[in-house]
Amino acid sequence: MKNPIQYIRQSLSRKLSLWIVFFAAVIFNVALGFMFTQSLRAVRQEAISRASKELDNTVLRVNSIIQLVETATDNTDWLITRHLDAPDSMFVYSRRILQNNPELNGCSIAFEPYYFQDKDRGRYFSAYTYNDNGNFYTSQEGNDHYEYFYMDWYQTAKLLDQPVWSEPFVDVNPEIHDSKEIIASYSKPIKDKDGTYIGTIATDISLSWLSETISAVKPYPNSYSMMIGQGGTFFVHPDPEKLFYQTIFTETLEHDDPAMADLGHAMLRGEEGMRELRMDGQDCYVFYKPLGDTGWSVAIVCPESDIFGGYKRLQQMVFFIVVIGLILMFLVFSRIVSYELKPLRRLADQAGTIAKGHFDQKLPDDDRSDEIGQLTHSFGDMQQSLMQYIDRLQSATAQKATIESELKIANTIQLNMLPRVFPPFPERGDIDLYASMAPAKDVGGDLFDFYLRDEKLFFCIGDVSGKGVPAAMVMAVTLSLLRHSSSHETDPAKVIQMVNETLCKGNDYDMFVTLLLGVLDLPTGRLRYCSAGHDAPLILHDGTISTLTCQPNLPLAILPEMRYKVQEYKLEPGSTLFLYTDGLTEAMNADHEQFGMDRVREQLSACMNDAPRQILERVQDGVHAFVQDAEQSDDLTMLAFRYTPGEFATILSEKITLSCDLKRVPELNAFIASVAQKLGADATVTGQLQLAVEEIVVNVMNYAYPEGKKGFVTIKVMSDGHQLRMVVIDSGVPFDPTLREKADTTLSAEERPIGGLGIFLVRELMDTINYERVDNRNILMMIKTIK
Amino acid sequence: MKRLFLLALFLVTAASTWAQERFVFTPQWTAQSQFAGYYVAQEKGFYRDAGIDVEIVHPTATMSAMKRISNNESQATTLQVCQAMEIIDGGIPLVNILQTSMNNAMVIVSRRGVDPLTQKGARVGIWSVGFGQLAICMSLKDGLDYEWIRFANNVNLFIKGAIDATLAMSYNEYYQLVQAGYEMNDLIVYRFCDHGYNVQEDGVYMTREYYEGHKEQARKFADASRRGWEWAAEHPEETLDIVMKYVKENKIVTNRTMQRLMLAEVLRLQIDRESGLREFRLRPDMVKMASDLMVEYMMLGNEVTYEQLTED
Repeated sequence: MKNPIQYIRQSLSRKLSLWIVFFAAVIFNVALGFMFTQSLRAVRQEAISRASKELDNTVLRVNSIIQLVETATDNTDWLITRHLDAPDSMFVYSRRILQNNPELNGCSIAFEPYYFQDKDRGRYFSAYTYNDNGNFYTSQEGNDHYEYFYMDWYQTAKLLDQPVWSEPFVDVNPEIHDSKEIIASYSKPIKDKDGTYIGTIATDISLSWLSETISAVKPYPNSYSMMIGQGGTFFVHPDPEKLFYQTIFTETLEHDDPAMADLGHAMLRGEEGMRELRMDGQDCYVFYKPLGDTGWSVAIVCPESDIFGGYKRLQQMVFFIVVIGLILMFLVFSRIVSYELKPLRRLADQAGTIAKGHFDQKLPDDDRSDEIGQLTHSFGDMQQSLMQYIDRLQSATAQKATIESELKIANTIQLNMLPRVFPPFPERGDIDLYASMAPAKDVGGDLFDFYLRDEKLFFCIGDVSGKGVPAAMVMAVTLSLLRHSSSHETDPAKVIQMVNETLCKGNDYDMFVTLLLGVLDLPTGRLRYCSAGHDAPLILHDGTISTLTCQPNLPLAILPEMRYKVQEYKLEPGSTLFLYTDGLTEAMNADHEQFGMDRVREQLSACMNDAPRQILERVQDGVHAFVQDAEQSDDLTMLAFRYTPGEFATILSEKITLSCDLKRVPELNAFIASVAQKLGADATVTGQLQLAVEEIVVNVMNYAYPEGKKGFVTIKVMSDGHQLRMVVIDSGVPFDPTLREKADTTLSAEERPIGGLGIFLVRELMDTINYERVDNRNILMMIKTIK
Repeated sequence: MKRLFLLALFLVTAASTWAQERFVFTPQWTAQSQFAGYYVAQEKGFYRDAGIDVEIVHPTATMSAMKRISNNESQATTLQVCQAMEIIDGGIPLVNILQTSMNNAMVIVSRRGVDPLTQKGARVGIWSVGFGQLAICMSLKDGLDYEWIRFANNVNLFIKGAIDATLAMSYNEYYQLVQAGYEMNDLIVYRFCDHGYNVQEDGVYMTREYYEGHKEQARKFADASRRGWEWAAEHPEETLDIVMKYVKENKIVTNRTMQRLMLAEVLRLQIDRESGLREFRLRPDMVKMASDLMVEYMMLGNEVTYEQLTED
């Protein structure tokens, strides 16, 4: 059997029923306890009164027998006194008493020794009649062997001088072997007319008579009656061992029993009462009462088990019924509660099923209105809510998945916006560039870009505040703006300013962008740049790492009036410029430790002379090793390029300076022709060169100098035998012809803006052109491969 | 009316048909622990061992022990010393062949809760069969002037309140009174042995005539009886069983408790106060004292000497 407490605890119905049964038991106990205490008292009282009544009745009946004997004796008294002169009449009287009273056993009319001496009677004279089953025998009983005047029945009356009952005694009839009868005698002194004692009249009664009467008293099945004489001897007792042989004190002599001794004394004193004591090994109630003036005492012994037998049986029965009732109660209540709780159990089961994920589990369809019904309904509502919630969750999850997939597409688009082809300028030996972006999560806000225009490397790196779609959008916008703005402007500060103004206009979400934009003039290594709050790039050159000085400008999209200034730096050949976003320095490991500038420098110093791609990969590896499994918190974007301009080995260098007078244009043509000739160029190329230079120079002559101011223009031609470089230098107003829009050739010559068509032509004729303004001079270089 | 108070036996059979060898012993009273030693000797075969054929026959109402002795129906009986002296003084020479009692057992018990010695002229019960010689002497000597009421053989007169006091044997009536719920104390109980009347009681007697012809038989009976008593002293509970057997056979109205108390007291009385031993001898000083007292108070015509009582 399993642990009973466990067994009970497992079931609400058992627990509940047990409580009910427990309280019922308590109530029963109290009620029954009270009832039984009361009824015990009542039973006891009833027993006492019943036994007392029985005893009284018995004593009355015995007394009537005694009275009968006494009356019979008293009635003869006067006859004896009157006929003392006729001794033989005594025989008649004694016989008549017996004949008139068949209940009597015998009668002696006995006289003092020698009382009738004068009537020739001897020492003995006692007229005795006894009743032997209706036959009366009369005789003279005194003789030498039976000196009746020493007998108790004779002497007691004489000595006490009053009628008296003798102690019962055994009368042995020698004729009947082994017979023995217990006899009691009522003795009365006989006196002559002088009042002198002359003898005793005694009438006997068989105690069996009394005994039967007394023994018949049986208020309870095991109760019994007893009678003791004045010496305590049992004259009526159911136990033959005790009857006549023992006194009420006998057993107390060997086994101390004060209660019994006290009872004996009380009975001997002729008291009447009731006592509780142990007799024959059981608790008894003893009711006792004296028998008239005999000195005897009758008692009824009622075993307690008898008196309270019915009560005890009732008690046991009630106890049995209560126990059975409680058990039944428990079982019935268990069933009822169990039945009542069935929906709850079903609900519990179904809730369990629901808990396992079967949300469509049907709940018990119950129209109960009690707590269980309420619970079922509430549970049903909960289930409905849960299902709805789960539906919503599912659709939300689906939506999220859609969004995520769209974000992924956005991310791809975003990444696709960035240059992806590396190396980007494989045909060029002067620049080796590599860039990478590792988005943190979803779409990021980092950006980088680069392109070559007119021998100038445009590059930028930036970081949009925040993450996700808004950042990505801003990034895309920024990137587009940069492309657009830088397409006709080579000054990074101006480009940035333009971009800033545009971004500020639409910035309702307080986003901002840090950006660094640089323009490297490849022929000269002249780097012009502008930083809008972005981290300063690092310069790796000649075994040292230095930081490119950057003004602390505000990031973009904050202040539209912000004026950015360009900065310049001469990039030495062999230098590597390393640009990054804060995703690099702020990359965090699991201990929230940042990668930091020192580690960046440490990584860089180990690969200073490597190609940009290797440098970036190394730094990336370093970051991975540092961050390990920690989630990437920010985009990590890096861009590096190495500047290695090749030597231009001049084999030819010619120069001509002309005043700004159109009349000198033929000189220019001649000069070009002579140089072309020297280089061995054919006529077509010579014509192309002449046309391109003339276009530029005429333009300078016409517009470079203000009206009335005399100016010059110098033309330099250099060649390494493979490439031809023609440089037009003037000190006029700053003018960058490369920024002119490409000519709209659909317009007539008169409608086109000035210079527009010219520069278009130049671009067509030459491989590339490059404008620089150095020391207040406009320097335009035109390059063409001739062989 | 055939009334036999407590004497309830019917063993009287034709008495004179006994063979010569048969030795009939009749105790003075009905079967009780007072005679335990003889029952033991009979039951344990001590008499048989001694080579004598003993029969124990109790007295009846119509045939007292002394009557049986006189009729030569019994060869020996028990008597108190004072009784024996009276009989010898009456002309029947007796011989004490075994003395069992070494102390006097007689007491006076007062009913009134007072010292019997202060109850001058009181009605005092006395056995009708003739014990109590010493009490009569004492009553006279101490001037108590008791009125002697003779009773048959029980304490009913006393219990009924018909008498003021009663004589009692410390082994018999005394315990009957105790059984009747009577509470004893030193004040109401007068013990003769403590007041200069310590005269031995029970002994075994036979007529001198018979004795002279059967000395060897007498000696054997005495020795075996003594052996019986000694065994009884050592085995009181088994002795009690034997006593109860005789009690039942003789239909004596008594009980085991009573007999146990009696046996203990009888055995106690057999121990001499001075020597502390079970001596089984007649003490000449006690004989002399009893004889002198009884002569003085006219209960004996002549002195009965120790020599008259003893064997040679």
